Amino acid sequence: MMFDERKILLAPARRRPLAALAVLAVGSSLAMTGCAVANSDDAAGGTAGSGSDTLRVVLQQEPPTLEPCESNLTSTGVVDRSTITEPLIERNPTSGELEPKLATTWDSKDDTTWTLKLRTGVTFHDGSTFDATDAKATIDRAVNSKLGCNVEGYVFGDEDLKVKVVDPETLQVTAPHADPILPLRLSFLEVVPSETSTTKKVREPIGTGPYQFEKWDAGQKITLAAYDGYWGDKPAYAKAQYEWRSESSVRAAMITAGEADIATGLSPEDNIGDLGVPYPNNETVALRMHNNKAPFTDIRVREAVNYAIDKESIVKNLYGGRDKVAAQLVPEGVVGHSDSLKPWPYDPEKAKQLVAEAKADGTDTSAEIDMIVRSAQFPKIEELGQVIQEQLTQAGLNVKLKMLETSQHLTYQVRPFAKTEGDLMLMTQHGNQAGDAAFTVDQYMLSNGAQSAFGTPELDALIKKADASTGDDRQAAFEKVFAYQNEKVVQFAHIAHQTGMIGKSKSVNYEPNSSTGDELRLAEVTPAK
Amino acid sequence: MLTYLRKRIISSALPLVVVVVGVFALARMTGNPAALYLPLSATPEMRAEFITRNGLDQPLLVQMGNYFGGVLHLDFGTSLRTGEAAGAMALRAFPATLQLAGVTMALAILLAVVVGSWAALKPNGIIDRIASFFSMAAASIPDFWLAIVGILVFAITLGWVPTSGVETSASWILPIATLLMRPFGALVQVVRGAMVSALSEPYIRLARSKGSGQRRVITHHALRNAAAPALTVAGDLTVGLVNGAVVVETIFGWPGIGKLMIDSILQRDFAVLQACVLLTAIAIFTLNIVIDLLYALLDPRVRPAAAGRRRARRTETPPATTPPADAPTALAGAARP
Amino acid sequence: MSTEPLHDAGAPHLPPPPAKPGTNRSNSPSMFGLLLRDKFATTGAVILLLVLATAAFGPALMGDLATKQNLMFANKAPFNPDNGWEYLLGSDSLGRSELARLVVATRTTLLVAVPAVAASLVVGSLWGVWAGYHRGIRETASMRIADIIMSFPSLLLAVVVLYVFSPSIANIVLILAITRIPIYLRTARAESAELQSRTFVDAARTFGTRPNAIIGRHVIPIVTPTLLTLATLEFCYVMLAESSLSFLGIGIQPPDISWGLLVAQGRQYLQTAWWLSIFPGVAIVVTAIAANMLAAWLRIATDPAQRWRLALPGRKKLITTIRTKESK
Repeated sequence: MMFDERKILLAPARRRPLAALAVLAVGSSLAMTGCAVANSDDAAGGTAGSGSDTLRVVLQQEPPTLEPCESNLTSTGVVDRSTITEPLIERNPTSGELEPKLATTWDSKDDTTWTLKLRTGVTFHDGSTFDATDAKATIDRAVNSKLGCNVEGYVFGDEDLKVKVVDPETLQVTAPHADPILPLRLSFLEVVPSETSTTKKVREPIGTGPYQFEKWDAGQKITLAAYDGYWGDKPAYAKAQYEWRSESSVRAAMITAGEADIATGLSPEDNIGDLGVPYPNNETVALRMHNNKAPFTDIRVREAVNYAIDKESIVKNLYGGRDKVAAQLVPEGVVGHSDSLKPWPYDPEKAKQLVAEAKADGTDTSAEIDMIVRSAQFPKIEELGQVIQEQLTQAGLNVKLKMLETSQHLTYQVRPFAKTEGDLMLMTQHGNQAGDAAFTVDQYMLSNGAQSAFGTPELDALIKKADASTGDDRQAAFEKVFAYQNEKVVQFAHIAHQTGMIGKSKSVNYEPNSSTGDELRLAEVTPAK
Repeated sequence: MLTYLRKRIISSALPLVVVVVGVFALARMTGNPAALYLPLSATPEMRAEFITRNGLDQPLLVQMGNYFGGVLHLDFGTSLRTGEAAGAMALRAFPATLQLAGVTMALAILLAVVVGSWAALKPNGIIDRIASFFSMAAASIPDFWLAIVGILVFAITLGWVPTSGVETSASWILPIATLLMRPFGALVQVVRGAMVSALSEPYIRLARSKGSGQRRVITHHALRNAAAPALTVAGDLTVGLVNGAVVVETIFGWPGIGKLMIDSILQRDFAVLQACVLLTAIAIFTLNIVIDLLYALLDPRVRPAAAGRRRARRTETPPATTPPADAPTALAGAARP
Repeated sequence: MSTEPLHDAGAPHLPPPPAKPGTNRSNSPSMFGLLLRDKFATTGAVILLLVLATAAFGPALMGDLATKQNLMFANKAPFNPDNGWEYLLGSDSLGRSELARLVVATRTTLLVAVPAVAASLVVGSLWGVWAGYHRGIRETASMRIADIIMSFPSLLLAVVVLYVFSPSIANIVLILAITRIPIYLRTARAESAELQSRTFVDAARTFGTRPNAIIGRHVIPIVTPTLLTLATLEFCYVMLAESSLSFLGIGIQPPDISWGLLVAQGRQYLQTAWWLSIFPGVAIVVTAIAANMLAAWLRIATDPAQRWRLALPGRKKLITTIRTKESK
């Protein structure tokens, strides 16, 4: 083999590039470690444990924005609602009652025009006083403007409200038609100063709440400070800090290691042990069956699905007995929930029999059913899907399980529904934040409801009647709606009312309730003795 | 060299455009984002209004035209999710990933060169076997295992480092250690292979017979020639790090661009996705240029000038029995793997 | 010839001595013999054969066991003889036998990983070698295309393919293969470009050999070893990449299972049911290491200049330094 002396002799002169490279590599890496990570303002003064007067919360994701009119988005509301901003009227999550917040009383003669008396002595974080003009501006901005606030679609639909300032302490709100739950809808509006822009959404909120917004280190943390001029009781902690980690076991690890005081969205698999506190979170999971194709064209097959699923076993074995078997789409505590409605029992023999009957009558019970499930929607959803598929197969049905990511899953969730090869059965998780069945039923059970596969004229009539009732009549009317659905319509196979879990370090006291996932009221957190 | 640099930069412009156009078109094939950003109870009119407001109902070419028009004014669009400027979001997240990737790769290269060379001194010897085994294991372990186990052991049980976040200098340790494994493992393999070939070349024998010490033999002669495949693989691994430190960023809450890009894909946040891809594409192209320059620095045969000389030679009359003096003759010690 | 004094011109031709196992007539070992001499490579080959056999016969043997749910038996720890042999490796969150699931998953894993790696290896290497040989505009264009593919987020590609077409093993293989081509392309090109100025290539060109023949006979054998090492590293990476895709729901779709999907599914249980994620991960690591050991042996065995290392008898043969060689 030939070699070239030239190369060897030339080697000394070439020494420099290689050495230079090595120096460059080492030097730059040292320089980089020396600097803080881009965006972190102080590398050394980490706030992990910076004084016991800072309440540290770790969330599941960074809020996309803190714009108050988007606070029905869970990731925004969990920071804003009743912490930085406040509504006129607030719903008590435990009792379901509406309580005064920035409005002290509200009244209506005809359920269409409501008069609200506002609280005095309230100031915003920027120092300006709160009065009816601010309330009007809030409603106009959120509901009537072109901003496209999320709360508009969620609570009010396309309709606008007429708002009138009677005097600085009195506000008059007129709905387009009789709306007995208008105050409940108003509880979703977080009040902002009238100077807030009506053409652009704001990222940093100004409100009247016990904590004011201090700083947002994008990508890293949000810092709040207690507001001295708050009209109510001062909160226990002088400062609050939100961080976020998408991995639930890391959130749990932060609690265990003492790096955070409260963590949201945990489950027992995260090894949180007894630092985990379960709570019923208003979410219900159910299967929605579409009746436009075989085999769900036959009501007996839909009933069979209800009988074939062993809900007790699922709740006990998959969810540790924390969840509750469901008979309807809303859990206890929501107006319209029927205590007397019994869940479908687990009867695999009956299920097989119903399927056989349907088959004998000519329905093609071997037609493929596409069960569409959203991956990672809630803990153990994949296992749940597989269990259900197995149980339905035992009953004699042909079920194909499809796990889809969020965006694709949504094409099957709302009208117009995407097409599937087989008959569509969607696993849906519904959370009724508002506390009134109207929000659920209008969506899921009206014949043309946005998330309703089908309905019947009789059910529509019952729903319209319930929507317009008040008080005890309302409760009874909605109970009738749910009972009718289960007997005559059978669009759904309800599975369970779910529970959430937060992690709570030993140094704080906090009782989670059904709205904790949507609004974490920091003012309710106190140091443990 | 400068002409080469200039030519490379110019020739990288078109591919950059191709990447952005490709991402633009593909992103819009993933369906309508309205459902993700509007409440489920939104009416069809609201959905239509959302689409019009964001210009998503116009033909693809018009949208592209508007986008590139905006780019020329340094306006990269607004995020559907947060309402912020997409360019600002991407630029904010990028340095964090760069720092992580940079330090990791530097450490990985250093360690891999040391371990790989050591292993190559005695091929199939005990050190070689151990190094091979552990480097393969390191390259194969799923990163989230390492991350979560690392957090369990070092942060919770031992309490030496924080679990996650970017607060202190100590919070760099676990993310870098996790991210280091695969590049280190892969590079050890490649360096070892290349060094084994390089060390068995005759010019090494010559160097030793001239009295060069072991270290000089390795660093001056063998490493230079082992550099070519190692450099390519190192470059590709760095690219992989920039694009794919997602798991580490997710688990440790590192505010980097990998996670931003994945989230923007899953949430159909087109403007942010395009901005992220543009930024990472520029970084990747730059990295490849740097690697090619390093090649040329280390190995004269690969230089484009050499290619030019060879082409000129071929068009001449058939060469004489002795090749011309300035043509690159067969320099021994090609990195025969 | 006169150098054979022992040959009697008139003596009958004696048959050649019976071949010893592992040797051929010319008294240098065959490939199989070389393999047997290197214990590590043999172990690697045996493991790979085991994996192949599992992939071929596993689903037939354990298919039913893998889908049998038993909610009361969920998340049982492994290595507990009381639970019976099916639960040797524990049970998953639905009470299915982890052992059976691992076995059944082997086929899908190999069906995804092997074609993906093979396709990107072959396409990327040939392309890179061709580009490196010809240099000039072909090289530049190829390198820019490689840059484009590298900058493209593979996840986006996966989501689009899933959205437009339905998820299938073929689509996943396609995506994984395309996104991994650049690494072979660039490595092959780099080595090929370097070889252009070697004398033997020059000589071949002077003799008038066609470029493709030069590439095939001279360049490819030299670049193959590095590319094979890369391929074994990529084999593992592809399995893990498929795991990430499955984690997001755009990879292997249940009820199909692969090791990657098992690893992804076990992620949430890492602290409470570690075996769900660890065992499939160990399977991935072991297979990758076995492939790597075999490839390392192959590199030496297929290189005529290095083969002698494997053919020498005795243990010390494998440990060579320049000094040892000189003293022979």
